[in-house]
Amino acid sequence: MEPDQAASAQTGPGATETKIHFKVTRFIMEAGVKLGLRSIPVATACTIYHSFFTATVAPGPYDPYLVAMAALYLAGKVEEQHLRTRDIINVSHRYLHPQSDPLELDSHFWELRDSIVQCELLMLRVLGFRVSFRHPHKYLLHYLLSLRRWMNRHSWERTPVSAAAWALLRDSYHGALCVRYLPQHVAVAVLYLALHCYGVEVPAHAQAQRPWWQVFSDDLSQAQIDQIVLDLIQIYTLDAEIS
Amino acid sequence: MKKFKRRLSLTLRGSQTIDESLSELAEQMTIEENSSKDNEPIVKNGRPPTSHSMHSFLHQYTGSFKKPPLRRPHSVIGGSLGSFMAMPRNGSRLDIVHENLKMGSDGESDQASGTSSDEVQSPTGVCLRNRIHRRISMEDLNKRLSLPADIRIPDGYLEKLQINSPPFDQPMSRRSRRASLSEIGFGKMETYIKLEKLGEGTYATVYKGRSKLTENLVALKEIRLEHEEGAPCTAIREVSLLKDLKHANIVTLHDIVHTEKSLTLVFEYLDKDLKQYMDDCGNIMSMHNVKLFLYQILRGLAYCHRRKVLHRDLKPQNLLINEKGELKLADFGLARAKSVPTKTYSNEVVTLWYRPPDVLLGSSEYSTQIDMWGVGCIFFEMASGRPLFPGSTVEDELHLIFRLLGTPSQETWPGISSNDEFRNYNFPKYKPQPLINHAPRLDSEGIELIAKFLQYESKKRVSAEEAMKHAYFRSLGSRIHALPESVSIFSLKEIQLQKDPGFRNSSYPETAHGKNRRQSMLF
Repeated sequence: MEPDQAASAQTGPGATETKIHFKVTRFIMEAGVKLGLRSIPVATACTIYHSFFTATVAPGPYDPYLVAMAALYLAGKVEEQHLRTRDIINVSHRYLHPQSDPLELDSHFWELRDSIVQCELLMLRVLGFRVSFRHPHKYLLHYLLSLRRWMNRHSWERTPVSAAAWALLRDSYHGALCVRYLPQHVAVAVLYLALHCYGVEVPAHAQAQRPWWQVFSDDLSQAQIDQIVLDLIQIYTLDAEIS
Repeated sequence: MKKFKRRLSLTLRGSQTIDESLSELAEQMTIEENSSKDNEPIVKNGRPPTSHSMHSFLHQYTGSFKKPPLRRPHSVIGGSLGSFMAMPRNGSRLDIVHENLKMGSDGESDQASGTSSDEVQSPTGVCLRNRIHRRISMEDLNKRLSLPADIRIPDGYLEKLQINSPPFDQPMSRRSRRASLSEIGFGKMETYIKLEKLGEGTYATVYKGRSKLTENLVALKEIRLEHEEGAPCTAIREVSLLKDLKHANIVTLHDIVHTEKSLTLVFEYLDKDLKQYMDDCGNIMSMHNVKLFLYQILRGLAYCHRRKVLHRDLKPQNLLINEKGELKLADFGLARAKSVPTKTYSNEVVTLWYRPPDVLLGSSEYSTQIDMWGVGCIFFEMASGRPLFPGSTVEDELHLIFRLLGTPSQETWPGISSNDEFRNYNFPKYKPQPLINHAPRLDSEGIELIAKFLQYESKKRVSAEEAMKHAYFRSLGSRIHALPESVSIFSLKEIQLQKDPGFRNSSYPETAHGKNRRQSMLF
């Protein structure tokens, strides 16, 4: 919506595409929370957004905020938590123009609504209707469950490993990790990083023939994990750059 | 301290909504796993992170578009602090809090925030220093986003990051992008010739058509686009699921044509649906063909269920058959990935006649077993020539079911006595009747199998995969089980369709059926 204003406010000189996507996915997450979306639809919206910009040529003629709004709308349909375009517009307007009054129900409003619908169709075409995704969430939940049973109970409860893993996973959607890596791999990587951050070791890891994560995902190498972890850390660095 | 308390309360207030999102996840897991008791503790464990991260996001956001003075209290660390406070069974709770407070005001962040002395934690207020070879420190990362405040990122990664990370004014390396939008291979309407109309519904019209490229017949499902709503979610779901389903017993989606006013799904064309097939043979099918059709239904369904897709709308009108006898599942408009929980469609999912009693009684717990009841009904219908439970209302439907299979009791269906809907109907206490009296043409193995489909408790129903191994199918040989997914069962020479006893080789009374056929393909 209002590409000029939105873009000029958000993309100063030297801003990179990655930064834009970072900010816009943050917008998706916040708008998602305000619209009462559950976490899976929000993750779907972010994945749709990143997939779209991965599939199109950069920078492209698309307003990232419009794409984000359409991604939210589409995610609601895909995950069966339907949103009204009206609500999406109002929430987005509030986000982008916190000082101004709510939008009037005039022709401008209807144009915005048509833009969302048209953009949604465009996205469906660009993505070839591949809009249902498997997210790392349920894998992570599985992994945490099995790991918890395997770990020393005391050390598990003392350290917020699961808290960190969930936070890392949520934050991962600021970047295009969801497009680049398999959900199982992302789930292992956030768990791996969370364990490392707290210096928690998986029992018998040193003696084991295979690293623990290969129990969950046997095609995953240390190098792949490292790459995902680096991508994750870059997200946090980027946040520092932007703030 | 006052400020801290305020943050804490904010977090606690915020955690409410998060519980929902987590319980939603947990719900998913119960569906997946059926091991609910194990889930609970981890959900508790999982709560703080989500609550904290979502919450902190929210506050960060609220922060980011409010004026600076308002921003400070809603800081990320404030969020994480709260979450640690909220975390149960944490013995060292207070210590952590102190640590966090200290961290918040340590040298690094003071330097970073610079602008105001007490704005210690908010990353939104942190200024970026223009050092090119800026060392990324633990403290930097600690304050970012929704990470817990005391997280320690291994040094190795920080070092690697210094080496590997590209300068931020260059785009991150990406997977190669597709060349351009215009190259996206989407069909054009000119490729297809519309022949006669097969049916019409509120959302879509189905035409028989011909592809100019292949000269093959196709079914064109034309979906009108609502100006305000965009693409209907049934269409989105159907297409996104069908794209990934490639199986000899599932209808193939060839193409999607998008015009300004409509979206047309191009499917392979099959001559008739099972309803029509049964009509055409005067409802007396060869029992051998019944077996072949049932096997193919199960084969397609087992494939869907392996991929966690539920059909949710099985009925003879949705099973398409070509002249070779190949049967394919169609109309995935109501299907969905099993892992996505929803109540939107509850109770309106399966056509009444093929709807399982647990769903009729208000259950919204979906599992693959939801499809198996319908398979039993269709099996019966093929074998006996008439629908098993042709109820007109929910009550009528339940009544028909209970009259044949016996009114359930706490013994035959644990938990039923506490179902309010069931109690309110107050059905007479029917005794179960032998199924063989109603389907005399079925052999004893067929009767045994049908009973396995028609179980009141969904978890007791046989799965599609198991059902395929049932003794009833022994006569089909063993090779049929080893076929690759995309290969038709008729590729085996021992598998052949028989002539149906009641088949009238009439010139198709196409017009008579025209109205009703392919109802399935309509929304």
